[in-house]
Amino acid sequence: MLQVTNVSKTFNTPGGPVHALKDISLTVQTGEFVSIIGKSGSGKSTLLSILGALDTPTNGTITVDENSIEKLSGHAQTKYRGHKIGFVFQQYNLIPNLTAIENVMLALEFGGYPASSRVDRATKLLESVGLEEEQIHRRPTRLSGGQQQRVSIARALANDPAYILADEPTGNLDSATGKKVFDLLHDLSRNQNTTVIVVTHDLEIAGKTDRTFTLVDGKITTK
Amino acid sequence: MNVLTRGVKNALRSPLRSGAIVLMFAISIALILSMLVARSSVQAKINEVKATAGTNITIRPAGVMGGMGGGNPLTAEQLATIKSTANVSSTTLTLTDQLGTDDTELESSQELGAFGQRQMRFESSGATSTTEGTGAAATENADRPAPTPRITVTGTNDVNSVSTNGSDLNITSGKTIDASSNELVALVGSTLATKNSLEVGDTFTAYGSTVTVSGIYSTDNAFQDSGIIMPLTTLQTLTDQADVVNTVIATVNSSDNVAAAVTSLETSLGDDADITSESETAAASVESLESISSLALAGVIGAAIAGAAIVLLAMVMVVRERRREIGVMKAVGGTDGKVVGQFTIEGLTLTLIGTVIGIGLGVVVSGPMTTSLVSSQDSSSSTATTAAQAGPGGRPAGGFAGGFPGSVQQINTNLTQVTASLTPQVFATALGLTFLIAIIGSAVPAWLTARVRPAEVLRTE
Repeated sequence: MLQVTNVSKTFNTPGGPVHALKDISLTVQTGEFVSIIGKSGSGKSTLLSILGALDTPTNGTITVDENSIEKLSGHAQTKYRGHKIGFVFQQYNLIPNLTAIENVMLALEFGGYPASSRVDRATKLLESVGLEEEQIHRRPTRLSGGQQQRVSIARALANDPAYILADEPTGNLDSATGKKVFDLLHDLSRNQNTTVIVVTHDLEIAGKTDRTFTLVDGKITTK
Repeated sequence: MNVLTRGVKNALRSPLRSGAIVLMFAISIALILSMLVARSSVQAKINEVKATAGTNITIRPAGVMGGMGGGNPLTAEQLATIKSTANVSSTTLTLTDQLGTDDTELESSQELGAFGQRQMRFESSGATSTTEGTGAAATENADRPAPTPRITVTGTNDVNSVSTNGSDLNITSGKTIDASSNELVALVGSTLATKNSLEVGDTFTAYGSTVTVSGIYSTDNAFQDSGIIMPLTTLQTLTDQADVVNTVIATVNSSDNVAAAVTSLETSLGDDADITSESETAAASVESLESISSLALAGVIGAAIAGAAIVLLAMVMVVRERRREIGVMKAVGGTDGKVVGQFTIEGLTLTLIGTVIGIGLGVVVSGPMTTSLVSSQDSSSSTATTAAQAGPGGRPAGGFAGGFPGSVQQINTNLTQVTASLTPQVFATALGLTFLIAIIGSAVPAWLTARVRPAEVLRTE
């Protein structure tokens, strides 16, 4: 279970402090598929970064499986990300000079997977998200947007994370491909008991999730 | 694929850029090595020069120069003072005299010419002039009897000191003499021997005694080839000048001690002697070598800074370009150690390739570069050394008892005799500097990499 309690985040900018999140509290159950919607600048991505320990809150606590993560050291945060969290980004964020399988193997290496089993594991993951044999040895630039996002999801799943945090995962995809990617994430939640939190501005997608949180100016208005 | 292979692969991901970085770095490494070789070689030569050249001090009776002038010869007591002077390791003693027609039946092989006639215009041999002079001197002396050239005799305790080129005296026939003996033997100059049909084993009269020709010598100096060399004691006895000399060359154990020895001699001998040394010429020679050494050191420092800057800026550029990649790696579980390690290996890979190419290039160019540095310095210093060879009034300092021409020549050749050599010490220094550059070039980018916060990088998308 993931619990956010009274979390605020303030950025100090040259123009003065910007309050990105204001006293946010929410709870996500294990295996739940939830969405966070809101306009640009509402604080969606900031919240996702804090949940993934990429950033720290100014105030408040985040408890993941009964462990508080907001005060973890840098190394502990990295370990948390490597084992508990899988990130899926709108821009895919694959390493450009590594092939699809090497990108997945990179996450496996960081997660401490034995070198001998990385190739098999990465191949299975890529096949499970729908990539064909000859595509898994291509570099990202030789893959379509949908294929790159599938690689990104395979990388997110590399270390069997308990939580998938997806930031606009279908934002750069056409509707058909976007639907396939969304279905893939949905299947993960349903079949593997993985908690999936999706940030989106697509109300149709949000409507298909178990629950939707709406952010307006850094505050949750609906749950 | 692990950190190592990923780092190496990433270093070569852009062949054109990596090639340019490696090439620039290799050039700086080659420059470092070349400058180190030049500095090391020149430094070795400086040490050699200090130990061997410019260590001679010439002491003459006050007023005497090259067999001319007047004054009292140096006495046995003064010789003892010279020999006991601190740092004086050896002395070469010379007494010169001239054989006139009353002293010998030998005929001088020298033609007086206008110069000789003018030098001897106040003397008269009683013979009728048969020499055709030119100019004012010939007109002035037209009615005077033509002077007869004399034969210079040198008594020495080291016959090789008469050599003009710094090497042993060239004996063309016969054998050399024992300069420490008091035998009535002599070495005869080649032109004098030809003029008088003298051969080894022949005898001639000098100062009323019969002297045997032990050998015939030849130099590259016509004046010297018309002279005679005898053991010092023999000449002192024949000329009734027991224990006195008119030139002493004192050799000091190091050129660094010459100035102190000169000061000490000036104090002990006072106004009775004129003391000259090569210290200034030697210092000038060493000074030019030292300027090359300084230039080479500046080159080493400059090239090292350039090399470090190349690696540093290249890696800073790489890190800045790939901030998103670094952020993603950290986001998916990459620890600072692994991410920093990968970028450090990228920097070290470029450094290693550049080092290998640079050292190869350095080995090839270090020799020509050292030669070029030395020859450019040599041309600028040649004017000074030429002036240093001339004595007062332009009279050549060389010649019988005139100084130490061979030593001056030796100093002049020092600059062109520097040989570039890549010693293990130089090689180790170059590798050490390269290692230092690699550390500097990698440390800052690594620090930048560690500072990348994934949230900030990924927020910008």
